[in-house]
Amino acid sequence: MKKRKLKIISLILISLLLFSLILYLSWGSFKISPLDIIKTILGEGTKLQKSALLNIRVPRLLVGISVGIALSTAGALLQTITKNELADSGIVGINAGAAVAAVVFISLKTADYYSELGNISIYVLPFMAIIGAGISAAVIYFLSGRNRIRPQRLLLIGLGINAGLNAFITFFTFRGGVSDYNRVLVWISGSLWGSGWSYAKIITPIVVLMFILVHINYKKLDVLNLSDEHAVCLGLNLNKERKKFLTYAVILAGTATAFAGNVSLIGLISPHIAKKLVGPYHKNFLVISAVISTIIILIADAVSRNLFSPIEIPVGITISILGVPYFIYLMIKEK
Amino acid sequence: MEAISVKNLSVAYEDNLIIDNMNLSIPKGEISIIIGANGCGKSTLLKTIGRIIKPKNGEIFINDKNIKKLKEKHIATQVAFLPQGPICPNGITVKEVVSYGRFPHQKMIGGLNSHDKEIIEWAIEETGLKDFADREIENLSGGQRQRAWIAMTLAQETDIIMLDEPTTYLDMSYQLEVLEVLEKLNKKKNITVVIVLHELNNACRFASNIIGLKKGKIICKGVPRDVITEENLREIYGIDVKLQLSENGEYPICVEYELIRG
Repeated sequence: MKKRKLKIISLILISLLLFSLILYLSWGSFKISPLDIIKTILGEGTKLQKSALLNIRVPRLLVGISVGIALSTAGALLQTITKNELADSGIVGINAGAAVAAVVFISLKTADYYSELGNISIYVLPFMAIIGAGISAAVIYFLSGRNRIRPQRLLLIGLGINAGLNAFITFFTFRGGVSDYNRVLVWISGSLWGSGWSYAKIITPIVVLMFILVHINYKKLDVLNLSDEHAVCLGLNLNKERKKFLTYAVILAGTATAFAGNVSLIGLISPHIAKKLVGPYHKNFLVISAVISTIIILIADAVSRNLFSPIEIPVGITISILGVPYFIYLMIKEK
Repeated sequence: MEAISVKNLSVAYEDNLIIDNMNLSIPKGEISIIIGANGCGKSTLLKTIGRIIKPKNGEIFINDKNIKKLKEKHIATQVAFLPQGPICPNGITVKEVVSYGRFPHQKMIGGLNSHDKEIIEWAIEETGLKDFADREIENLSGGQRQRAWIAMTLAQETDIIMLDEPTTYLDMSYQLEVLEVLEKLNKKKNITVVIVLHELNNACRFASNIIGLKKGKIICKGVPRDVITEENLREIYGIDVKLQLSENGEYPICVEYELIRG
């Protein structure tokens, strides 16, 4: 019964994934038919198709997928660590920490906000963002009582930190000029604008590696779902593992935020849907959650690019518009 | 032979001393039941043995080995502990909960091997949950749910199992259901069972060794017929009791009890 259900769900998700991939690559101000996509990838497309697909859409696709997987996995980790389904790196201020670090770093580095980042900056940026995310995670961790994480307290402290950091970003935008404001806006709302190969080359390997690292720990994550006392009895070094998984979440959320800003809700919704579909076993639900986040971010970004073309809206806003009603529906349905 | 021994153990929550310089040995292959008033330190004792609370002073030995010198996962293959109010996320089936018990035996990479699966089957069978193996935990009755948790504890495949108030919130038939499963395991597999229990008559009936605690000190210890006396119960709970022997004459039953006034 259960295995069959899993098969059906996987089949549906795979077809949705294919649909979103084709939609993402073909829909745009320059349309490319699905058949031409395959042709171009095999090296037979026209010059225009090649440049649109290989230089613009594919790298952005990779960055988008990486961002989605990073945030949904970070969200899943935080939900397990805190035993709270509302935890998410955006809500508890980890993303905001990364965004502050990124904004400060960029404004110190360059005054030209519209250009892509320089070569060295691109390599340094994720590290800065991870450090920023790490600092805010550490503050939240220590304030919410180190050895005994109290989920309610962690969530409230995180909310506070998040508000404070966002205030800082807003302050920054007022201090700067119009160009500052535009660039910073990307960090506040989350956007894949300007994602090229230079971004994809860095974020994709980091996220792939981190996802594998998280996934091989699925048994420990399952045990963390039991009561704290129970987990200790089963021989889990609770504090060590918690710190380890929090660090993983920080690296994932920090990397994603460095390149795409504070994309909200996806880290909350994807694990939520995945758990509803396949249950709370991490082995399955981490993968399903990654697939769901990919589908969501691809469709949302395709809409962001094209709906009001030539004006592009940040993908974070589209996700929020699509995600909030679903989220409220979940809350109402919850007993 | 002793399964667990505790030497000069003191445990405190901040400045509040809960267990005061306790020496205790728990015999192998028997059912030991710990009784005592609320806040007397019975749960704290089990939690300290289960490494959930760090002692202030003293040593704890499991199968004659000091737990300070053992790795966490190794201890978890020696002694299993079912704490009060176990929780799991919704949507998990009995079989999945039971397989959590294999965690201390598993390597980091790889799933359940054939031995793991055998033990899981056995634990489910032993606790009489075979027909419910694929049911979700939240859809079980209180007694079934508690038996599922016991099955998980069994799947840890240890010689010693400790349970903290496993029958609280269960009605009389479920209480018996749980205790009978434990008695059967003790008899069949010679597993050492340590239980914290509030229900005095059940404690007398199932224990071969009863330990009475008051304010972190041992008041009495031994076979129920010898140590469950009116004086000891007055000391432990501050109540006046009328005791009677059970019909088979093997254990005492508390038939009436009264608070001591004044």
